[in-house]
Amino acid sequence: MIVDDSPTIRKMVRASLRELDDAEFIEAANGLAAIEQIALGPVALIVLDLNMPDMHGVDVLKFVRAHRRSKDVPVVVLTTRSDSSSRETAIAAGATAYVTKPFAPPALLASAEHLLSAARQPQA
Amino acid sequence: MTDARQTADRFILFTVAETMYAVHSRDVRHMEMIEQVTRVPNAPPFVDGVVFSRGLVVPVVNLRARFGFERAPYTLRTRLIVVQTAGGRVVGLIADEAREFVPIPAGAIQPAEDTLAGPSARYLEGIASIGDRMILVVRLERVLDFEEPIAGDAPAVGDAATA
Amino acid sequence: MPPSELPPDHEPFVEFLDDYFAECDEHLMGARRLLLALERSVGRTDVNTPVLDELFRRFHSLKGISGMVELRPAEELSHTMEEYLRALRRRDTTISVEGINALFDGTHLLEQVVGARRSGGPTPAIGPVVHAIAALAGGSPGSTPVLPAEPAAIAPSASSAPQWRFVFTPSRELVERGVRVDTIRARLMAIGEILTAAPRVIDGGLIAFDFIVATTADPETIAALREDGVLAEPVSRDGAVAPSPAGPAPAVDPDSRIAEAVPVHSGVAPTHFVRVDLTRLDELMRNVGDLVISRARLGESLARAEAHVPSSDWRSIQENAMIIDRQVRTLREGIMRVRLVPVGEIFRRMPFVVRDLARETGKRVRLELQGQSTEIDKFLIERMMDPVLHLVRNALSHGIEPAEERLAAGKPAEGTITLSASAAGETVTLDVADDGRGIDVAAVTARAARAGLRSVAADDEAGVLALLCTPGFSTRDESDRASGRGVGMAVVQSAIEELGGTLRLETTLGRGTRFIVELPVTLAITDALITRVGAETFAVPQGAVREVIEVPLAAMRALEQNEIAPYRGGALPIVRLSRLFGLDQTARDRLHVLVIGAGVGALGLAVDRIAGQREIVVRATTDPLVKVDGIAGATDLGDGRVVLILDPAALARRIRTRSHAAGRLAEGAA
Repeated sequence: MIVDDSPTIRKMVRASLRELDDAEFIEAANGLAAIEQIALGPVALIVLDLNMPDMHGVDVLKFVRAHRRSKDVPVVVLTTRSDSSSRETAIAAGATAYVTKPFAPPALLASAEHLLSAARQPQA
Repeated sequence: MTDARQTADRFILFTVAETMYAVHSRDVRHMEMIEQVTRVPNAPPFVDGVVFSRGLVVPVVNLRARFGFERAPYTLRTRLIVVQTAGGRVVGLIADEAREFVPIPAGAIQPAEDTLAGPSARYLEGIASIGDRMILVVRLERVLDFEEPIAGDAPAVGDAATA
Repeated sequence: MPPSELPPDHEPFVEFLDDYFAECDEHLMGARRLLLALERSVGRTDVNTPVLDELFRRFHSLKGISGMVELRPAEELSHTMEEYLRALRRRDTTISVEGINALFDGTHLLEQVVGARRSGGPTPAIGPVVHAIAALAGGSPGSTPVLPAEPAAIAPSASSAPQWRFVFTPSRELVERGVRVDTIRARLMAIGEILTAAPRVIDGGLIAFDFIVATTADPETIAALREDGVLAEPVSRDGAVAPSPAGPAPAVDPDSRIAEAVPVHSGVAPTHFVRVDLTRLDELMRNVGDLVISRARLGESLARAEAHVPSSDWRSIQENAMIIDRQVRTLREGIMRVRLVPVGEIFRRMPFVVRDLARETGKRVRLELQGQSTEIDKFLIERMMDPVLHLVRNALSHGIEPAEERLAAGKPAEGTITLSASAAGETVTLDVADDGRGIDVAAVTARAARAGLRSVAADDEAGVLALLCTPGFSTRDESDRASGRGVGMAVVQSAIEELGGTLRLETTLGRGTRFIVELPVTLAITDALITRVGAETFAVPQGAVREVIEVPLAAMRALEQNEIAPYRGGALPIVRLSRLFGLDQTARDRLHVLVIGAGVGALGLAVDRIAGQREIVVRATTDPLVKVDGIAGATDLGDGRVVLILDPAALARRIRTRSHAAGRLAEGAA
């Protein structure tokens, strides 16, 4: 699931992750829509922007981590270069990884692949 | 002198087959170079077709054909004089060349019937002599009125083939 | 995972540039609107937080996407604007006139930077503006965090409307019906003001969304939301929630930690309108056009069947046929109306144009807009944008006087330009009026006379207008960069005339000027087949053509004077348009034939080629010199040449009477 209020960024993220095997993409443009998606079905990976119109990304993250269905879903948070404290808050709230915007597609792809294969391993 | 000038109307001069004609400048909307004319089947023989001028569909009258001269191909000097009649009709007249603005005092125009005989006199308001030039002043409504059969017109282009 | 910086050989997302530009346009437009709103609170002590927040978000987003496409100047400029807005939000500094101007300048410059990237032109320098804004921000330190969910500015609801709590539980079944949390949010915004919106976990691990909404909607409207999975209950003003009626008890799922109800901004815009892809709209119109033709054919078939149907049955058939006819016509009109767009689209940009130009010229001007909801055909909207812009610029640079001059004349220092639209019957009128110095008719006419442009006759407003619209005519000796009046007015007039409209002028010296544009509400637009006959092109209205067939020459037969071709088990008389119009005929081994009419009266018009199908604007050919039977009008296919539109029914009639007459002649001779 790609969560970002910018349609351009959503497209870019999608393009960057094109090469993931068997990937199906869901998009959400705001916090409530993202949470709705969690309610509707399982999600394997979330790419989450922190700055959204209705709910800050960290709050979405907190909800995701609090909900039984999604608490273990790997979340890659998109942060902006100048935003170091947000990044820390995000990690504290349970972000699995972060990528700084502007990001390089191979880096995001590598992050995603790593997180997805780790998730496939039997839980310790 | 000033009086004469004040009572003189301004005219636009143009030539058709080496003959100089004049039309009231107040009747002229504008002049442009002639571009693509679309032929209209079964239109009167002296109507070359229609063009777009400022968004209006304007019929194009070939004055050579209208006045009984031999037709000639358009050249770079050929001008489309777009006129508007008192009745609001907007029509284009094709002249070989369009020239200058000239004031012609009303008194200088002699009625055509006095000097010219024949069908062409229909289209003229009169004849004016300015210096050593003889200028035929056109009567617009008659030129544009095609109910009147025109004797001596050049054969039409693309006349509808009678089956 | 370590953070990832861009490697030096990284390729920016060039394929997304169009999306980038589109999103920039949206953010920049939004920013401009917000800035106009912000401008009103300059000098006041209360800070307009929601506007500042939204502005901040806009520039933050612009920074983000500009960074992704590596448009550095845009990124840096957005960043500077964002920092300043952050400082304003935190009350580190207060908004001032220079601040607003700087924000406008920054927005404008950003538009130019993005525009330069779009057009491939040189990027304007951003240094000075960046420094100016940074100075205003008090040189605040670079990396200040975007704080998460400040127990956010849920402004205590100003309205005294009763509050309701709406609980929406999403489900796959609702999604299939098109009902999602965003749609529910939009509907709630339409009926009232959303005070809070938050997710919550309920019994069974399901997720629900709580919306607290202040609304004066009646209980039926509220109850109607139930079908979309929304339960509602009233909330008492002090915040205590009334005991919930029968419904899923909000029990806490023991397996999960309690998710705090996080207060949320409801900043997502409502959608009363749908964006429609123009190609889909055109296709829809074509489908309706086909429907009209089918209905016509049905009518013909029914007419032929009438003789065989008992009259009692026939009455009801006819009645139904008429009903369908009416419904199809209403549908067609309705679809045509979808083409109608509020004139406000054109007006939208005007406040910015006026603002910029007023500053540039140092004049004080106010813009008033009236009648923005008046509708005109979308075809006209784009083509009227520039002319109206030009008239407004003119009014400002030539009409409105500088403040001192106005005061000396006893007028208020601030000039007013009024842009208004109204519709009456088939005409839409657009007015651009100013209360400036008016046009000196005598001076203009005199100047024209000196330049030898006109006879002395017309010295009224119509004459002056004609002069102003003559290319090359200008009342200023130096070319005026702001409006370039000389060339501009001529272009304005021809643009208006090409749309079938008229331009008028009213002016009073010393009091003001008004330009009046009248346009037809809808244009006569129709679908046509574009055909070639010899070297000529003709348009044939689609509605008149029953069918298009190809006939090999070998299949044609001669019958007396005519040619016929086999058609649907019978014989179809064929008339070659090339012969009918005396045009060159191209030798071919097959004819393309447009079948006109039906049954016994059917006729085939043969053309050389069918070049395609187009929507055309019909222009009248009313002058008697070209009022020819068989020609219904003229149109322009885009290259400025006139293309004649045929009237097939009239042609058919003419052909029939001619062959009839020829037949009689033959008889007479026999």
